[in-house]
Amino acid sequence: MDYALTLDGVTKRFGSFTAVDDLSLRIPRGCIYGFLGQNGAGKTTTIRMVMSIFHPDRGTISVLGHPDASEVKDRLGYLPEEKGLYKKMKTGEIIAYFGKLKGLDPATANRRAKELLTRYGLGDWIDKKCEAMSKGMGQKVQVLGTIIHESELVILDEPFSGLDPVNRDMMRDLILDMKRSGRTVIFSTHEMERAEQLCDYVMMIHKARLQFAGPLAEVRQGRDFGIQLDYDGDGAALRSLPGVSRVNDSGKFAELFLAPNADPQAVLAALVGKVRIRRFDVREPSLHEVFVRTVEQANQKLEAAAAAGGR
Amino acid sequence: MANKTLLVAQREYLENVRTKTFWLGILAFPAIFAIAIGIGWIMEKTKAQQSYAILDYSEQKLGTRIEEQARGGDLERYLAELFGGAKDGDFAAALAAAEAKIPADNPLRGLLAALKDTPPEEIEAMKQAAAAGKRPTPSAATMGRFFSWAADLGPDQIKQLTMLGSAQRYRLRSIQDLGVADLPRAEQEQRLNDKIKNGDLFAYFLIDGDPVAKADRLTFVCNNLTDSSLRDWYTAAATTVVRKLRVQAEGIAPATAAHIQEAIAFAPKQIAASGAIEDVKKEDQANKFAPVVFVYLLWIAVFTAAQMLLTNTVEEKSNRIIEVLLSSVSPGELMAGKIWGIGATGLTIIGSWALCGILGVQIGAELVPKFAEWNLMAIVGDPLYLASFVGYFLTGYLLFAAVLVAIGSVCNSLKEAQNLLQPVFILLMLPLFAMVPIVQEPNGLMARVFTYIPLYTPFAMMNRASGPPPMIEYVITTALILGSVLFAFKAAGKIFRVGVLMTGNPPRLKEVLGWLRKG
Repeated sequence: MDYALTLDGVTKRFGSFTAVDDLSLRIPRGCIYGFLGQNGAGKTTTIRMVMSIFHPDRGTISVLGHPDASEVKDRLGYLPEEKGLYKKMKTGEIIAYFGKLKGLDPATANRRAKELLTRYGLGDWIDKKCEAMSKGMGQKVQVLGTIIHESELVILDEPFSGLDPVNRDMMRDLILDMKRSGRTVIFSTHEMERAEQLCDYVMMIHKARLQFAGPLAEVRQGRDFGIQLDYDGDGAALRSLPGVSRVNDSGKFAELFLAPNADPQAVLAALVGKVRIRRFDVREPSLHEVFVRTVEQANQKLEAAAAAGGR
Repeated sequence: MANKTLLVAQREYLENVRTKTFWLGILAFPAIFAIAIGIGWIMEKTKAQQSYAILDYSEQKLGTRIEEQARGGDLERYLAELFGGAKDGDFAAALAAAEAKIPADNPLRGLLAALKDTPPEEIEAMKQAAAAGKRPTPSAATMGRFFSWAADLGPDQIKQLTMLGSAQRYRLRSIQDLGVADLPRAEQEQRLNDKIKNGDLFAYFLIDGDPVAKADRLTFVCNNLTDSSLRDWYTAAATTVVRKLRVQAEGIAPATAAHIQEAIAFAPKQIAASGAIEDVKKEDQANKFAPVVFVYLLWIAVFTAAQMLLTNTVEEKSNRIIEVLLSSVSPGELMAGKIWGIGATGLTIIGSWALCGILGVQIGAELVPKFAEWNLMAIVGDPLYLASFVGYFLTGYLLFAAVLVAIGSVCNSLKEAQNLLQPVFILLMLPLFAMVPIVQEPNGLMARVFTYIPLYTPFAMMNRASGPPPMIEYVITTALILGSVLFAFKAAGKIFRVGVLMTGNPPRLKEVLGWLRKG
């Protein structure tokens, strides 16, 4: 298989702190790949190593078939988590500038900057300075600067944070457009629903270590089934149900996990009369649940290891 | 690769140069300079005429003589200027040349016409005096012609004639005019005191007793305690008059007296490049002090550009744009691009100042003829100065730029940066304090010590340019500073690479040193 990105045993330390520990990944071309993990888990450090902003202490990274990522810098697009623009530059100029830094000739860069701004509804802003824009608009401009050179691999660090619903949809369409044109998109996020809807593959990293990686369906397989419930009423009633080991209650929606050998039908029967049920669905756990459980398990393992080490 | 450095540099340059505030800032400096000079000049020009009176109770009635002596100074100065401009002391030609320079309705023509009647012996005497570097002394007859010419001039005409310096500044009001002529002495003084109090009169001189025998009853009454120019001017004239009378009284021949009173002088000479001894020209003196001006400008330029670089780096870091940039260019390229871009901005600043300087010197020479004597154009246009200025700006800037870009890269806000900067600024200030001592002794110990501290080499060498330092020093210091620039760039690159992506508290010195060793 042809991979857009492979990492082999990559480790990065900052002083005594290990940010990424022995990470190996294969990211196929043409897919949407989600990087999941808590804040500080090591996602951004991984991405920065891929972008050759940092260099790994150990392990190898091959980007688009090149062992040295800095050779293919121009074929990558990168939207960092912390987004900023030159306040005094005009929007058209700054997008074109990013394009030129990626090796576009000035004429092409200027033309594409104009096209992109027009296509994504910022046509009137071409000659306005960045300082005049709202945060959301600024973020849009930055995304356009990321994709102007039509790179083969685009890495977006938290692309959805700080966007309103309309702009989130625009960002989603943009990611899907890129996939459709055969490009590879990697994005990191905390929002499991978003990842669930968009990603072909996901990986999760917790405290510098890879927890799982693979196609979305595979990641969810082999885990406890759960009940997904849409309801109205008092959620407290959910906690005292027979045969339910865990409850993930969001107020109108809840995910219930069963104790071994418990019967979903018994749960349903117990629920009737306590809350008003709008949907009752027995299925694989949501990515959200997978994420939370993985964090719990990983923490338990680490605690156990620490306790063993302490003895 | 280098292409990206260029792109970064270009952006930095355009961002600075495109703004109006940048040009306002640049032009403010020469403008303030010009205004400061202009204000001084205007103040001199518009200084209110000081009116004074003389109460003459002296036995010899010296008042009139002193007044004439004082006023005659204007003519003496004018004649000195005429002779100075005359080739081989050809007085007639000098008069003709002066006449040709002024329009037909200029009242000065009247004086020039009157001076044409000067007898040849007097011209010859004045010529000899001028040749000996002394002021020519016109005869009483010539003075008389001058006074009668000046008496006919109206106030507007006086204002127009720069040669009438004293008449423009000081006006004698007769006691008749003041209405105190026929009053008893005590009353006279009282009245004049009142006039000084209410501002009608600036001052009055009281000449009493016998100044020729013992000049202890001379008084100057004035309420302005700071401006002594009127008193000095009048005192000089009074001294001359009294001396003449004393010489006369003692029966000494005037020639003998003049001989005794003659001040002696050492003629300043210097050794030219050819080894011959030559006169010190005014432009040579200007040349000696030119480096001070250049060092000052150099300092401001280096300081401005380095500061820009710092602000800019911190800004990029604090608004997080740095990470996008680093996904496209390497830290080294980014750093180099910024440094060169802002270096070009600095050169633009210097270029603009140079242009202003050249214009200023030319306009200045047009406005004030004396200015031309300094031959500043030769200094501004001197290739040694120009080349060293540009060269030392670049090396000095690059050295400080490396330090500041490293500082900027580890700071998250301007406030943090400013704290770290203070020691750097103090280091940068030292050459300013050393400026005058180095100019006075361009090849002295202090000059040499400063020359071999790389941070100060550009300033010290510029400072010593009037020396000029021996060629070998130019060679050694150039090698030294280029080496230092290279070293500083390498070190700054290492700090920049790590620091630029750091957030949180600035690193401790120990950590930074660690980066330097590791990188």
